[in-house]
Amino acid sequence: MTHLVEGPVRVEHYLGKVPPECGAMTVFAGTVRCLHLGREVTGIHYHAYVPLAEKRLQELESDTARRFGVHCRLVHATGELVVGQVSVLVLAYGPHRQETFEACRYAIDTLKQTVPIWKEERFANGASAFVDGSPLSTILAG
Amino acid sequence: MLLRVQCFGASRLWCGADELELDIPAATPTVGDAEQTLAERFPNFAAQRQRMAYALGDSVVASTHRLHGNDTLVLIPPVSGG
Repeated sequence: MTHLVEGPVRVEHYLGKVPPECGAMTVFAGTVRCLHLGREVTGIHYHAYVPLAEKRLQELESDTARRFGVHCRLVHATGELVVGQVSVLVLAYGPHRQETFEACRYAIDTLKQTVPIWKEERFANGASAFVDGSPLSTILAG
Repeated sequence: MLLRVQCFGASRLWCGADELELDIPAATPTVGDAEQTLAERFPNFAAQRQRMAYALGDSVVASTHRLHGNDTLVLIPPVSGG
């Protein structure tokens, strides 16, 4: 199953049939914001090191599912996005809402530290810069 | 040993290229030896080396990992997905 897509994530493509044992579906979608540290942002180019990013996203889905007893789906955009487009999608389905809320938060927080993806912001004045992120964490095995 | 290096994120700017060939003064170097050679060649990389990770294929490798001539070492600077 592919976790990286070219261009924005189309959320509606992933909102399929909910498994019958589930009573809750929590959706987190990260979007491109128009302001960062006081600078006007027009878009973001998402770069990924695909072999490791795909592996880490798969591992994080499995880890989240096991840890919270839910179904988890992660999808991340690559390439050029403009303000308002969806860059990342976290879906968690489970029997009750509490574990799906917790699973969503865990998955997005962990993704930000463990998956080799980089934001290159495009500014209104034509300049661009990579966002200073977090050193790659080895929370997940591999 | 001549090693192929692939740069991602801001490491492209620090090393001035998406890909480069690195001449490491050792016959069987480690990832740490490659990092040292990069730091000597690229001052901007040297300033960030404590925050770097490295990969071969789909695996992260430690600084003690021994490199081979057909390897491509991938530079993983701090990540910012989401």
